[in-house]
Amino acid sequence: MKKISLMVLMGAMLSFLYACANTNSIARVHPEEVTGLPRCAECHTDNWTALNHQAQDFYLKHKFYAAQQRAACSTCHKESFCVDCHAHKEEIKPNDKYKERPELNLPHRGDYLSRHRIDGRINPASCVKCHGRENNERCKTCHR
Amino acid sequence: MKIQNKITGAVRPCALKLAGAVLLSCSLLVFDHAAANATSISGDSLTILRMRENTRDDQLFPLYEYLNLSASDTGSQGTISVQLGGWGRIDLGDRSSQRRSDGDIQYGFLSYRANKNNLQFNAGRQWIVEGVATERLDGLYLRTDLAAGFTAATFVGTPVTTDPNFEGGELMYGGRIAHTLPKYYSIGLSALRNESDAEGLREEEGVDVWLHPIPQLDISGRSSYNSLSNGWAEHAYTLSVTPMDALRLSASMQRISYRDYFYHVTTSALSLTNGILDPNEELWNVGGSVGFMPTKNINVALEYNRYEYEIAGNADYYGVTASFTTPTALTAGASFHRMDGDTGPLRYNQYRAWATQKFGPADLTLDFFDVDFDSSITGRTNTYSLAAAAGYNFNRSLRVAADVDYQRSTDFDNELRGLVKLSYAFGFGKEGQ
Repeated sequence: MKKISLMVLMGAMLSFLYACANTNSIARVHPEEVTGLPRCAECHTDNWTALNHQAQDFYLKHKFYAAQQRAACSTCHKESFCVDCHAHKEEIKPNDKYKERPELNLPHRGDYLSRHRIDGRINPASCVKCHGRENNERCKTCHR
Repeated sequence: MKIQNKITGAVRPCALKLAGAVLLSCSLLVFDHAAANATSISGDSLTILRMRENTRDDQLFPLYEYLNLSASDTGSQGTISVQLGGWGRIDLGDRSSQRRSDGDIQYGFLSYRANKNNLQFNAGRQWIVEGVATERLDGLYLRTDLAAGFTAATFVGTPVTTDPNFEGGELMYGGRIAHTLPKYYSIGLSALRNESDAEGLREEEGVDVWLHPIPQLDISGRSSYNSLSNGWAEHAYTLSVTPMDALRLSASMQRISYRDYFYHVTTSALSLTNGILDPNEELWNVGGSVGFMPTKNINVALEYNRYEYEIAGNADYYGVTASFTTPTALTAGASFHRMDGDTGPLRYNQYRAWATQKFGPADLTLDFFDVDFDSSITGRTNTYSLAAAAGYNFNRSLRVAADVDYQRSTDFDNELRGLVKLSYAFGFGKEGQ
């Protein structure tokens, strides 16, 4: 009974806070078509200026931006864009799929199959975000 | 320390079934509604034929189909949509393999986004990215703005596992509460719990920040704490300073405790139970970079990273990348990086040069990648790959492309691989890319 009362109270409080928010949602689709690697500061003057896709550290930082405000990413990128890399079950490396986009910061260029045993020890934590925490069939082919 | 053993047995995807039922029933409602008042139905198909050899000199011709579909209907209060994507593969050459065909539903969910308060509700298979959670779930997700700059997000579901012999837990749930002052900062607190038969497999809490007190300064990062192993799993922070448009300075720091970070990772290459990773290992990675854009077309970046390990030894990685881009025709670049580690294989030079030139509807790309090791790896000190790709856009929707990739690696003397792909986008209405 105590739990139910607490949940009802929390629900009422959240409903009140929701009703009082009254913010405008981020556009679901970017109003202007964006091509190439955008520098958001060319048009934006607010906090979105940080999302400079040409910046040398954007690849490193995109995980933080996505984890805080993924709706901003979704204005330009469909779900399939994220899945190209962040897929637990994927057989084609992103840079093999998009050879004609060499300017993109896609990992595992060249013969990564033989190089990954060297690079893998540099920072294996970086593997998890794309290859997943749960068992990955590609890894299991060799790492049983 | 308690390291979770791999748990074998049948998965009981109760949340999967629940989410599937919700998704299916809601999809029928949406499509029924969309048929009457649709604003956007779109999709894209990518058909890929790869040609390559395996280590037994078998010729492999896997044919892939990637399909993404999206249907949305926008009303006065918000947008309801269905997103679905997946791939399938069949091997045209190797008929001996038991796994001649395969595939995966990568995502499939019903979504509602309100015009007010950034309210979003998703049901189905989706990629959850909220604070400490970076998970693929079959389940439910709800996010909204609250009063006074607060936001809240919550999720519940079954982790998507790709192999039925390994459990990723039956239930995962969590959420994130954040406070944002759009001009200055966003600070979030998040947590997740993953359990099987009410036993905790993962339990993590974290704090994430995005600070931009002045437009020229941007700090972002997060820390995550593992409540089951009672240790900080990760601290990762970056700082960027842009004193002028043409110059960007960046510094980063990451600390990973293997015992806490790889707790209950069942991916075999990253599991603490199979001897590849030492649970007592601790990594510190600090680095910095300087990006300089003297003109809008030229970008030069210098970077340095130092990896410090408690057990395995240290390594420095540094180098320079320069690129040149014209708005319509040419993209070209070159880079040099040096890996300077404590062990032989971790000492090498890495060179890369690439260029893409457009000729009207056609384009041509060359990409050269070379790794020159200080000491030999399986008898070879230099490995390289040279890729050439060509594409032709029949119109905005239809494109054909092909590439060949020659490699001389530590595993192959001469490996030639090819790929042909046909991409087609269809539908009407406005969607992202």
